[in-house]
Amino acid sequence: MIVTQELRKTFPGQRKLFRPAGPATDAVDGLSLSIPPGAVTGLLGLNGAGKTTTIKVLATLLRPTSGSVTVDGLDVVTHAREIRRRINLIAGGERMVYARLTGRENLWYFGQLYDVPRAVLNTRIDELLELVGLTDAAGTVVERYSRGMRQRLSIARGLINAPAYLLLDEPTLGLDAPIARDLRAVVANLARDGVGVLLTSHYLAEVEQLCGHVYVVDRGRLVAQGSPTALTAGTRLPHTVELTLAEHAPAVSAAVAALGAEFEVGVDAEERPTFLLRSPEDLAGELATAVVRAGGAIVRLEVNPPTLEDAILAMAGASPAVGAESGRAAVAAR
Amino acid sequence: MRAALRVFAAEGLKQHRRIFGSKLVVFSMLLWPVLTLATTYYTVLPVTEAPGAADRWPLVAQPGRLLAFLAAGALAYTFFFSLVQSAWHFSWERVSGTLEAMFLTPASRMALVLANGSSALVQNAWLFGCFGIAAAVATGTLHLAHPGMLAVAALALLVPAVAWGAFLNSLLMFSRDSAFLYTLLDDPLWFIAGVRLPLFALPVWITAIGLAFPLTTSLVVLRGALLDGKDVGDLAGQFAFLAGLSAVLLGLTALLLRVGERHAQRTGSLQLF
Repeated sequence: MIVTQELRKTFPGQRKLFRPAGPATDAVDGLSLSIPPGAVTGLLGLNGAGKTTTIKVLATLLRPTSGSVTVDGLDVVTHAREIRRRINLIAGGERMVYARLTGRENLWYFGQLYDVPRAVLNTRIDELLELVGLTDAAGTVVERYSRGMRQRLSIARGLINAPAYLLLDEPTLGLDAPIARDLRAVVANLARDGVGVLLTSHYLAEVEQLCGHVYVVDRGRLVAQGSPTALTAGTRLPHTVELTLAEHAPAVSAAVAALGAEFEVGVDAEERPTFLLRSPEDLAGELATAVVRAGGAIVRLEVNPPTLEDAILAMAGASPAVGAESGRAAVAAR
Repeated sequence: MRAALRVFAAEGLKQHRRIFGSKLVVFSMLLWPVLTLATTYYTVLPVTEAPGAADRWPLVAQPGRLLAFLAAGALAYTFFFSLVQSAWHFSWERVSGTLEAMFLTPASRMALVLANGSSALVQNAWLFGCFGIAAAVATGTLHLAHPGMLAVAALALLVPAVAWGAFLNSLLMFSRDSAFLYTLLDDPLWFIAGVRLPLFALPVWITAIGLAFPLTTSLVVLRGALLDGKDVGDLAGQFAFLAGLSAVLLGLTALLLRVGERHAQRTGSLQLF
């Protein structure tokens, strides 16, 4: 298990010749989280929330200013080398591979640096190339790869040491939809095989699909945590139900009003009456029943529950004013 | 040790692919040092023809030996400057993101910089090295106390060069503003290390500065062992100095790697361009 307790990371201000140093930046401010093996854990927040800094501390690329970080009980500062054998990091974009080496040579290079046993290295390279769909391009130099191919090779590089924990920082950035879908399947399989995964992504549908537990950070602080469902429910954002009738029915408006939810009445492009209902609960069933009993003929019914994206935006919008505590209180605790 | 050897193999492949992007590079590997040597020879020639020059520097009276003297200088300089170039390229790995990928791995940092330097050395200098030895044998300018002195000369060139390369790698790896080093270690190094002129012809203060660079003493050993027929006993002092200097460079490398990585972990500079 990866555990951080009261993790803080402050970047010192930039020193300038003959001028005082700039102000220090608190990138992570008292973050406590845990990443268990065999599960995908999400780390969400807007830009500048401290997600990448957190991931780099876990990856030993940055040193915590205070607080503790352990990986399977090993301290990230005092046992960095041992931890590097157990983890790997895949970041979005096509960096972190050598342009003049072929795909296979890149994986061999990093396999050597990770001291992957010789007996398994070549087999693992073949498996990884197949996994990311680069078997046919294995012998081509990377400078001839497309951006997507480079990103896929970066993903294979991140798996070369068969890590016990995988840190994914926007891994599907710039990937075509089918490849991104395949990667999500790979991540889910890795978690099923016991790998602990920490995922940051701007594609929140991806997070909803993969993560059992999500931490939401804003300006380096934990704002909320819980399952995607609990986080969404906890923000009390409204479900919307859109309903279209075949023709005007006088009793329907009164029946909808009786449900006690906020609603709007309108007409669609074909001059048919429409109702837009907003409620913290999903009232689609009750609405349909009430409308039918009032003599209305429904031609369209669409339910839109609040998404995790709506919830994150709501939390990020609320946190500067109301602080982290109220946001934390608003969602189900782990 | 086994893990370190695997790092050497990996860096060897990487350097090979970086340097041999095109087959034409083989020509430049030979052509560049030969052109440099020719330029140096014809620059020095008018000076050697000045009245009284042979009294101060008897070698100028023998053009074949003068050329061998300069060729030995060019050979050693090629070795050492290839490491400056290699360190320069290493620092660019920050931009491509591969420096971070490298530091994610458990590979020994010291093994990485030593492997990077020695691979660059082998890749860059082997052709000119072979050419230089072959030319010296063919022209009869090679004067060895015994054949073993060839190995001694190679050792005196390679070990300090690798230590120098590791030191430069550790310096440039963590520094974003070290472009000046590239300029500083080109022509000035050529001058103060006695590549063109014997050390006794240089002002004392320049000689003193030159001694801080391993190229200077490596050249003294190389010329002594290959051109002047000196044996190990004759060169013992220089050997001891080179060993000490290499140890200091490796010690500084270890310190810089430790301090540099800690600084990068504190400031996040490893990801900055």
